[in-house]
Amino acid sequence: MKYFTINAFVLIMLYVLCSTSYAARIEISAPGEQTIPLAMTRLLPMGVGGAKPAVVAEFQEVLQGDLELSGLFDQVDPASFLSDADKLGLRRNEIDFYQWRMLGAEALIKGGYSLSGGRLTIELRLFDVVTQRLLTGRRYVGQVSDVRQIAHTFADQILKSLTGEKGPFAAKIAYISKRTGHKELYMMDVDGHDPIRMTDHRSIVLNPDFSPTRKELIFTSYNKGNPDLFRKEIYTGRESRVSLKQGLNIGGRYSPDGREIALTLSKDKNSEIYLLGTDGTIHRRLTNHYAIDVDPSWSPKGNKIAFVSDRRGNPNIFIVDVHTLDVSRLTYEGKYNATPAWSPKGDRIAYARMDNGVFNIFTIRENGSDERQLTFGQGSKEHPRWSPDGRFLIYSKDIDGGDKSIWIMRADGTGGRKISARGGKDSHPAWSVHW
Amino acid sequence: MQKLTITGLVIFFALSLLVSGCAKKPADDTHGMMQETTQVEMEKNKPASVSETEVMDTSAADAAADAAAARAAERAAAKGLEQINFDFDQYVLTDDAKSILVNNAGLLRAAAAVNVLIEGHCDERGSDEYNLALGEKRALATKNYLVSLGVAAQRLSIISYGEEMPLDDARTKAAWAKNRRANFKVKR
Amino acid sequence: MESSRKKRWQQLQAVFGPGFKQMLLVSVLLHFILPILYYSPFFPQREIEKPPVYRVNLVNKIVKNPQAGRPEATSVKKKPVVKKKPKPKPKPKPIPPKPKPKPKPPVKPKPVPVTPKVEPKVQPKPTVSKAQNNTLKQRLEQMRASQKKKDSDQARKDRIAALKAAALAESRQIESPVTDAPVGMVDGSGDEAGVSASAHVQEFIQQQWNLSKYQAVGNPEAEVKMFYSADGALIHYKFITKSGNSAFDESLTRAIVKSKQLDQKLPEAMEFHIFFNLKDMLDRP
Repeated sequence: MKYFTINAFVLIMLYVLCSTSYAARIEISAPGEQTIPLAMTRLLPMGVGGAKPAVVAEFQEVLQGDLELSGLFDQVDPASFLSDADKLGLRRNEIDFYQWRMLGAEALIKGGYSLSGGRLTIELRLFDVVTQRLLTGRRYVGQVSDVRQIAHTFADQILKSLTGEKGPFAAKIAYISKRTGHKELYMMDVDGHDPIRMTDHRSIVLNPDFSPTRKELIFTSYNKGNPDLFRKEIYTGRESRVSLKQGLNIGGRYSPDGREIALTLSKDKNSEIYLLGTDGTIHRRLTNHYAIDVDPSWSPKGNKIAFVSDRRGNPNIFIVDVHTLDVSRLTYEGKYNATPAWSPKGDRIAYARMDNGVFNIFTIRENGSDERQLTFGQGSKEHPRWSPDGRFLIYSKDIDGGDKSIWIMRADGTGGRKISARGGKDSHPAWSVHW
Repeated sequence: MQKLTITGLVIFFALSLLVSGCAKKPADDTHGMMQETTQVEMEKNKPASVSETEVMDTSAADAAADAAAARAAERAAAKGLEQINFDFDQYVLTDDAKSILVNNAGLLRAAAAVNVLIEGHCDERGSDEYNLALGEKRALATKNYLVSLGVAAQRLSIISYGEEMPLDDARTKAAWAKNRRANFKVKR
Repeated sequence: MESSRKKRWQQLQAVFGPGFKQMLLVSVLLHFILPILYYSPFFPQREIEKPPVYRVNLVNKIVKNPQAGRPEATSVKKKPVVKKKPKPKPKPKPIPPKPKPKPKPPVKPKPVPVTPKVEPKVQPKPTVSKAQNNTLKQRLEQMRASQKKKDSDQARKDRIAALKAAALAESRQIESPVTDAPVGMVDGSGDEAGVSASAHVQEFIQQQWNLSKYQAVGNPEAEVKMFYSADGALIHYKFITKSGNSAFDESLTRAIVKSKQLDQKLPEAMEFHIFFNLKDMLDRP
């Protein structure tokens, strides 16, 4: 048996060595074009019911915005569209793919809509122009007011069929705004549309986090005098205090499975990080140091927590193992590193570094290598948080002169854009899981 | 919040009715009815401690004089307690801060009935969470120093507001220095 | 099982006599020695073709006849470089990626018609709607003309043309010190050969390949066998290995479909083993 194995091995070796094919060998180590040329036609009216250009325009605007942010596409100029763009044909054999090939498009979005009695139906298709295949098709039925949600949902679907992973656009952003004069909790769409105030505490509301499993949020509020941790059910509006220990109850973060909360408590006269059950009972103390320990952020596996500590002098990011309680230091550069946010993909940790009083956003690998600065230029950028798919980051940007608002960018730092309206002194964004 | 306010009002109303009902014996039927309904209201809400209000009913001349003196000290304390300032990202008391606290401790020892809330604050630079923790360290350092100067620890409570309540919104060195502080609120 | 094997072993020993074990040992040793000998100086080494590494300047696309327009190119027909395989001289000397003031590589000057490469996306596909073809094309041209983009394109083209003219003028003045440098090298000469054919195919297929870095996860690799007829038509292709990343693999399928017809002929029918990966792209957080 042993001899046989050796013989076989030697034979295979010889075969591999001798069999040099006469085919020319070519290596192509990058695509020639790094965007997908996408042709997005306007929604066309289907069947009965009058045309509603406002709905079409809004749909177009939302979908276009999401797809642009994704960075995947290079949109083919609609001015160059040929006759097929004006035909409703949504089936594969009704489409003149040749026209789209001529325009250089590789992906094609076609869609139709109908309105009857306030019910809006939108039917959408994404085609692969080159192979002439249907990549994804969806029909959405809702109110006219749901048109933005439909567009976001289809954008998520497009990303899913082109990348294998759903987009995060149909989610919600929670954030803190001072629009009323008090810091209150707000929620809005991923493109900043439709902001809603969620609390009326008229005190100080801070640092929200979405439950990964339920439609609820946790946040800290001084509503009862002490900075306590609150929980709010989003649809019922029901609110309760989860943790009201003497001193700080701040920076609450749900574990990835939603069963525990990491929280900074200062009940023992010094801020330390604890694990709490969702009922507020303390499960475990994670840090034990006379220095300041704040700002926990879970690794996606739930076995580690990044946090901020000044135990070596300046605030820096550290990582504690939830099971062994071993602490290791993550950041060494800079004098002030804070607000870590662990990517849901697990590969990188985003944080804000202050230099000359101005924060910028950086990312770093878990092992401390490959640190990258993502934001530059004017204004202080803080509070980075990831989209649930790890493709984007939201953060607050404070441009000197008082315009503090929520911004969004790709995880590589490109495509930054403002999403919350001016004048709210908005901060502390958090991105929900898929809604 | 609103609900609680209403509850509080109802309880207050009920208590005042009770007190007035006790003072003046003769009560007509409608009054009795109201009393009953308010009691029902009370039970429905929360078990309020009625006994606490009765402590106030003392009338001795000495006590009044004492109270007046105490109130004066209290007023002096409320007025005279000065805030202290800190260096950036520090909660160690500076010499200036210590001399102010020596003065504050004297005022507090004189007004023995006064309880004080020490608030720790930071300037806007730095992360919010970190500053909340830092503010607390500042408040705690202040409290510990006052205790070392003979103020009873149970009279002093602390809270941190981090960078949430600046005195001066400007982005200048002077404003930041003003905002990095611990200040005192007399509690009743 | 165990006993039967033992029995067979004994039978074998009986047949071959007592020297059986030694015989086996020698056999095994020989098997090991053979490959070692193969690489020893005793054996004349047949050069095994390694996959050549080409540095492709994406700004200046490969041209069919790299030496056309250069004076020495016309007389160089004699070189017997017609062999399919390049001479056993795999020089990995890369073409300088973007030589700025230095002599421009000969890839640049191109009086050769390059029109099909300017619009590589407009691949004529005669099977579909032949009748429409002309009218569509006309309309397309009109549309294109109306695009604002056109202006900037034209400006850029002009600029590139000017640069090319300058580069050409410059390169004309440079005497080639090496006469027998391989094809495609800065100082090389000669006509299209096997190397430039595969370089051209590489370039062509790469241009057809669209993939966003936001689609690619990890470090996908795939190997595809493509067989082209001499007139540049794709006869058949086969995925030898797929990456397993569907977005990556599908982008390759699209690139292959778009590469159904090369924009020029090949010296002969050829088979290509193409390794697709993202080594030059994946530098992302």
